[in-house]
Amino acid sequence: MKRKTFIKNTALTAAASIVAPYILPTGRLFAATGSRKANHVVFCLFAGGVRNLESMEKAEGNLMRNLLNGNESVSSDIVSGMTPLPTPAANRLQSFGTLYKEFRYVSGPTGHYNGHTTAITGRYSDAAIKLKEPPQYPTVFEYYRKHNSPSKNALNAWWITDSLGPYPYLNYSKYDGYGAMYGANMLAPLNLVSPQTNTILSNPFQLSGAENQKCDMMRGFMNSQFSTTTQLPPNGIENTVADAEKLQTFLRALNVEAAAGGQVNAWGVNMNSDMYNIYYGIKVMQEFKPELMVINMQGIDIGHFDFTKYVNNIRMADYALYKLWEAIQSTPGMANDTVLVVAPEHGRNLAPNSVSDIYGRYALDHNNDEMSRRIFCMVAGPPSVVKQNQVFSNPFGESIDIVPTIADVLGFYDQIPPGMLQGRVLTEAFN
Amino acid sequence: MKKQLYVLIACLLLSASACNKEKRYIYVVEQQELYQNAAQKVNLKTTAQFISIAYSDLFGSAITNDELLKFDVALQSLGDKNTMQDMIIKSLINRSGVLQVNDATMRADVDAFIENEYLRFFNRMPNEYEQWKLKDMIEKNADITPKMVYYSLMTSTEYKYY
Repeated sequence: MKRKTFIKNTALTAAASIVAPYILPTGRLFAATGSRKANHVVFCLFAGGVRNLESMEKAEGNLMRNLLNGNESVSSDIVSGMTPLPTPAANRLQSFGTLYKEFRYVSGPTGHYNGHTTAITGRYSDAAIKLKEPPQYPTVFEYYRKHNSPSKNALNAWWITDSLGPYPYLNYSKYDGYGAMYGANMLAPLNLVSPQTNTILSNPFQLSGAENQKCDMMRGFMNSQFSTTTQLPPNGIENTVADAEKLQTFLRALNVEAAAGGQVNAWGVNMNSDMYNIYYGIKVMQEFKPELMVINMQGIDIGHFDFTKYVNNIRMADYALYKLWEAIQSTPGMANDTVLVVAPEHGRNLAPNSVSDIYGRYALDHNNDEMSRRIFCMVAGPPSVVKQNQVFSNPFGESIDIVPTIADVLGFYDQIPPGMLQGRVLTEAFN
Repeated sequence: MKKQLYVLIACLLLSASACNKEKRYIYVVEQQELYQNAAQKVNLKTTAQFISIAYSDLFGSAITNDELLKFDVALQSLGDKNTMQDMIIKSLINRSGVLQVNDATMRADVDAFIENEYLRFFNRMPNEYEQWKLKDMIEKNADITPKMVYYSLMTSTEYKYY
């Protein structure tokens, strides 16, 4: 080939590789995935209904001493109802990012399930709770797994839920073109990890490598013979064979630890269910280093019946959040490469209900009043990515903005079809 | 077709004629219709159905409510159902009391073994190709045990549907 022709061909090839769009295995044609701000996002739903009066406005003292600056004492009349917690970190989480003190859950019932659904799908939802039915619109996990190039396996996306009921079904939607094949691994550790589970799953049938291959051969043949003209409902999400083995090993280890009591008050404090959920979420994080993990806490919902315990559980959740942040910063691969987003699903009513606790304080429901729509949002991360020490005190930002923001951080926001999301990217939180 | 817990009593009456190898089977099934083929299964078993059917298929008796609840919670608590179902089957299949034939019995009449186990776990007869292919696998692999066949059947896709 002549030198001139060679140079011309090389230049054309180079130009084409820059200009030409990518064709995904799914057949979709689009430009390359956008640049990422960070390679990991952890979204903590500080849920159960947290009223801004107790969180941001510190009406009962600074209950979130690991997140917020300040050392205001807990109200003296209820302080004896507080669980002792370690001294807060010198640098509060607030200093590592941008705090929206007046975030809003604008529309839809102020119910836990609706609030969770909105936070995870980026769309307000009026849908009634339907047990064992996925949400109508795609979840952030499906957007992440479908619109990343190259696509990501399921161990990169996790939904860690504190309870069963409708919550496990938030790991994928029933939306056409999305669904289980793009869903997240869901784990409800408070239900799954226990000495009892360890007992019922003990002494498993052990197969050698060769025996396993023979079983795979037989199962593969059986599966090849199972075909229907009807589209079958999915049996949950699927990991690859290799990933499923990793998952089994991980789950067995967790249950062995539980059987030995290794997790009991592992943080050196009297741990509640929120703390344990975060504890196991950290285990998932350390084991799989997921690019996207959503985890919730709902112990705060005791606020329907006991105001003082509600206050205490806000403190406990704040400490759990600190442990989560600490774990992110000490996990190789995630440290300095993770954006943490924190927000309640909704608030609580301004007016109390008629249930009084032993301190004479009245409990709080959440019935769609203006106060129950006021929440906060914290975006924390590396200084090169997230604006540090920034506070927005006026109403700014909504629940539906979290999914677009996560999509933007992980570089796939532009790939989401127009009209799917209702919110915007919280661009002001980033450098 | 509705799947119900069933007790399958299969009586195999082989014909006396050895030269044409004709076999005559009489199946006595309680409260259970057999599927004509796999394509009739279009519904996903619920978590509780999967566990209670797996237990009765293996042990020939109903699981206790207490144990059903524990397994059901475990299965509900993981998004990857296949993985948890695999863990549950591995645990159940290794317990004492599983109704199983030994290796010699299986290899003495592989055809009968395959038919019995398809009826037991898939609630249908194997078609000719399935019968031939699985028999071929078993006969060519001396290390395949009955328990390995049970495990493969119970972790197959078909077993998750009814």
